[in-house]
Amino acid sequence: MSEVNMPAQPPVLDISGLRVAYGERTVVDGVSFQIHRGEIFGLLGPNGAGKTSTLSAIEGLVSPKSGQLLVDGLDVRQEPLEAKARLGVQLQSSSFQAELTIQQIARLYGGLYGVKLSREQIRESMRTIGLEQELGKRFKQLSGGQQQRLALFIATIHNPLLLLLDEPTAGLDPQSRRGLWRRIEELRGEGNSILLTTHSMEEAQAVCDRVAIIDHGVLLTIGRPSELIDKHRDDPRVLSVAHGAPTLEDVFIGLTGSEIRD
Amino acid sequence: MTNTGVNTARPPRGLAMSSLLRADSIVMLNSKTSLVLSALLPIVILVVTSFGKGQSRLGGSSLLVSLALTLGLLTSCLLGYTLALAHDREIGVLQRLRVTPAPNWMIITSRLVVQVATNLLASIIVVIVGAIVHGLALNVGQYLLVIAIAVIGAAMFLAIGQALVGLVQSTNAISAIGRLLMIFLLLLGLLGGSGILGDTMKTIADWSPVGALLTLFSDLLNQSAWSGQDTSSLLACVGYIVVFTSIGIRWFRWNSR
Repeated sequence: MSEVNMPAQPPVLDISGLRVAYGERTVVDGVSFQIHRGEIFGLLGPNGAGKTSTLSAIEGLVSPKSGQLLVDGLDVRQEPLEAKARLGVQLQSSSFQAELTIQQIARLYGGLYGVKLSREQIRESMRTIGLEQELGKRFKQLSGGQQQRLALFIATIHNPLLLLLDEPTAGLDPQSRRGLWRRIEELRGEGNSILLTTHSMEEAQAVCDRVAIIDHGVLLTIGRPSELIDKHRDDPRVLSVAHGAPTLEDVFIGLTGSEIRD
Repeated sequence: MTNTGVNTARPPRGLAMSSLLRADSIVMLNSKTSLVLSALLPIVILVVTSFGKGQSRLGGSSLLVSLALTLGLLTSCLLGYTLALAHDREIGVLQRLRVTPAPNWMIITSRLVVQVATNLLASIIVVIVGAIVHGLALNVGQYLLVIAIAVIGAAMFLAIGQALVGLVQSTNAISAIGRLLMIFLLLLGLLGGSGILGDTMKTIADWSPVGALLTLFSDLLNQSAWSGQDTSSLLACVGYIVVFTSIGIRWFRWNSR
């Protein structure tokens, strides 16, 4: 992981007091955090903790009940299209039109983000992500790993300021997962900031500069993975689940509980 | 604001719209169901009814061609468009499009434009085939009026379909309700309009979506003078467009959860 000079520049994403509710049920309750340029930020939490709802609010898919959401200084609710132009998004279950080939999907999303791609440019891009032979195939005909690579390519087609990845490695084999981590590191090197959600503590420790643990819509703790371990190593809840020296996973389970979530 | 290698510029709307239109056109061309519903089914009806004495028993050439045009519009809009939209909503295609800088209206407008264009093309083909196999002599003005009424008819059935997708979340339920609604509208327009169910049903049928459109098409193909009934039918169609579009916009949900 590279060091990020956090205070030097204004945040790419600034969330304060975010509250999201579906009817009477509050799923995100007063969440606040910032993401800085070139930073990889992990949002960790059990199922139903509020990770995807937080991302959905940033993406403009749900309207927050209250709070402020600034992307590059732009209020997501006041200037949604300007904010979306700065975002690259990989949804938890990305789906593209079943009748379109990969080449046609790339051309469509390029156009939506203002990037005009020639056939040769698309071919070259697909070559770099190992999908050159699949250009004429449709999305559903790709393997899980290939679908994830394409979804990540589409999310980064316009070189966005902030990349939002919702459980990007879910269901991937170890090779594909490592490949995706490499790509995430490369994107950071190109100046992108990244917000990802994950269940994998290994992933969080491997790629994230900072992580936040969220549960029942509330942010429980935030910091560098090593800082979180140090901060909570004497917490009785963490000690009760640790086998030996506490790990990030022990901190996670200690803070969010051991019960299984659906 | 940022000013580095990363992209922060909002994309031009023209490029976004043309990209959506191209993609939606490809989807339409690859969707055989839509093409069959909008053109092939009406043509089959026209050809089958051109044999023997079918025409006169079924109300004459102009009514048959009108019926074929109406059926093409009804099925492709109420079943083809509606189911495609509901399916894309269910599998997350609409959500994926919504997180791009394309405005919501642009995503739906592109689909509607492609659907209406397909319906227009299909209507022209159907009326040409109808004129040939049923011996109708139509002038250029009538063809242009067929196009104008086809636009109104397509808009009306698309508005009904949009309202259906807005009010019902499940794709399976939309499929079932859409089929039932299609059969109901057809029977109401045809049987009710024929008068065999009584005067009250005939009045209701004349004001129904299928009845109103059939009236407009058949009076046009009959070369009848514009009548008060035509005005009523046109107003009914416009009314349905306004009401169902409002419902479709008010209650439309972008995801099925």
